[in-house]
Amino acid sequence: MPVIRFERVSKRYAGPGRPALDQVSVDIDKGEFVYLVGTSGSGKSTALRLVLRELRPTTGRVIVAGKEINRMAGWKVPRLRRQIGTVFQDFRLLPNKTVTENVAFAQQVIGKSRREIGSTVPAALEMVGLKGKGDRMPDELSGGEQQRVAIARAVVNRPMILIADEPTGNLDPQTSVGIMNLLGEINANGTTVVMATHDHGIVDQFTKRVIELEHGKVVRDEAAGSYGFQH
Amino acid sequence: MQLRYVFTELRTGLRRNLSMHLAVILTLFVSLSLAGLGILIQREAELTNRQLGNELKIRVNLCTVDDPTGSPNCASGEINDAQRERIQSEIDGSDEVAGARFQTKEEGYKIAFDQAKRNGTAAAFEGDNPVVTVEKWPAAYIVTLKSPDRADGIISALAGLDGVSRIVDQRDELGQIFGIMRILKYGSWVASAFLLFAALMQVANTIRLAALARRREIAIMRLVGASTLYITLPFLLEALVTAAAGVVLAGGALAAFQYWGVDQGMAKEVAALPWVDWSDYAQALIGGFPPGIVFLAPALTLIPTLLLTRKYIKV
Repeated sequence: MPVIRFERVSKRYAGPGRPALDQVSVDIDKGEFVYLVGTSGSGKSTALRLVLRELRPTTGRVIVAGKEINRMAGWKVPRLRRQIGTVFQDFRLLPNKTVTENVAFAQQVIGKSRREIGSTVPAALEMVGLKGKGDRMPDELSGGEQQRVAIARAVVNRPMILIADEPTGNLDPQTSVGIMNLLGEINANGTTVVMATHDHGIVDQFTKRVIELEHGKVVRDEAAGSYGFQH
Repeated sequence: MQLRYVFTELRTGLRRNLSMHLAVILTLFVSLSLAGLGILIQREAELTNRQLGNELKIRVNLCTVDDPTGSPNCASGEINDAQRERIQSEIDGSDEVAGARFQTKEEGYKIAFDQAKRNGTAAAFEGDNPVVTVEKWPAAYIVTLKSPDRADGIISALAGLDGVSRIVDQRDELGQIFGIMRILKYGSWVASAFLLFAALMQVANTIRLAALARRREIAIMRLVGASTLYITLPFLLEALVTAAAGVVLAGGALAAFQYWGVDQGMAKEVAALPWVDWSDYAQALIGGFPPGIVFLAPALTLIPTLLLTRKYIKV
């Protein structure tokens, strides 16, 4: 049973023009690591937002963790999102909270107990290599460290799926390798990772399944692919 | 649910938008005070109507020699016994009348003279050739009504009878007082409605600014799966706090009005009238229809908050 399934999914935004996604059918199995590649406007972000149920498809079905989420009632969406961790290019940390508080925030707002937070947050920070930096503020950290905090926050609730939207987009090549190693570790522990990226160096270096989108259509799906085109 | 976090956010939110919250509280304070005042005035009008209404009478002046009103009923000159009996039987047969008393010329003249002397306007009654004399003063029937609302039948029956000079309906005179009360009541309600609308707009602005200030946190909360209730709770509590502050201030202002304005003021000055008391004050606070300010204020802040948080914090 795939953990993410797109069945002939189309997404058309208001206004004229071609659809952002056009009859996309894709299965992603539990434990897979998948790169989503394509030019800007190819439909990568739309696909990720459909998985998060930030959008609903115009036609077709999106099934995540066995549930058809385009038919899911609004009040059930938060529970779905607790099974999905999210990492962004711009880290999206809260600047007025320490590293520990940023990671703990993801647990506080879903009602985890202080005791649970007290044990899981230090473990998450240790896992991402930030042990001893819990009291720092985000602006005291390097870009790579900030992205590690964001990853810790994304995985602290042990999600089934990790969505990473250009996680190395703001980082230098050396730091990007560190982040990729970290994502690889998380994947090795059983979390399905879907990563949208423009970073062909990373895709070619860390060979995984590659799904390429162009004008909203899947034009390539290779089990161990390369970036495949230059931009 | 971690309420500690919710209360921390509430504290932060109140501090962050302090000036906006103060503006909302002050607008609510003034508008709720006016709304409460409207309820009290309405109550006062009911009390006055109930007491004075029961005492309201109709005075039926009978024709005199050379009747000054020029009424066609007085064409035959001063009222005669037959005309008086006809009037008496009309009054006795009316189901709108609770009772009637005949007032002679002498009685009526004496009451009017005494009243004029008290008011310092007795010149017309005095001197060698007074304008007002016993002969010119009309005898009258003083008719007490069963209900202050029902007098049209007896008035129209008597108005056309020979011997009836003029019918003085005391309700017309008191009607002016009730009219002033009505203007005050509706005036305070209209002003209150405008101010409550202003409060509503301010609440909407506050929510928009608060959502903007917290957009990053809200975005993260949505992504990690916080429930809508959890995200909106700090906003709802902020709305409740401002409503509560508005109610406390308006309740205080109305209590001050009740104590100094009514109990220590008007009630002592005009003891003859019934005045609103503390049970009416409680009614203005809690109410029924219209609802009291205790319910009005949270409704005014919570409803826009719920609507706008749905718009700005859509999960």
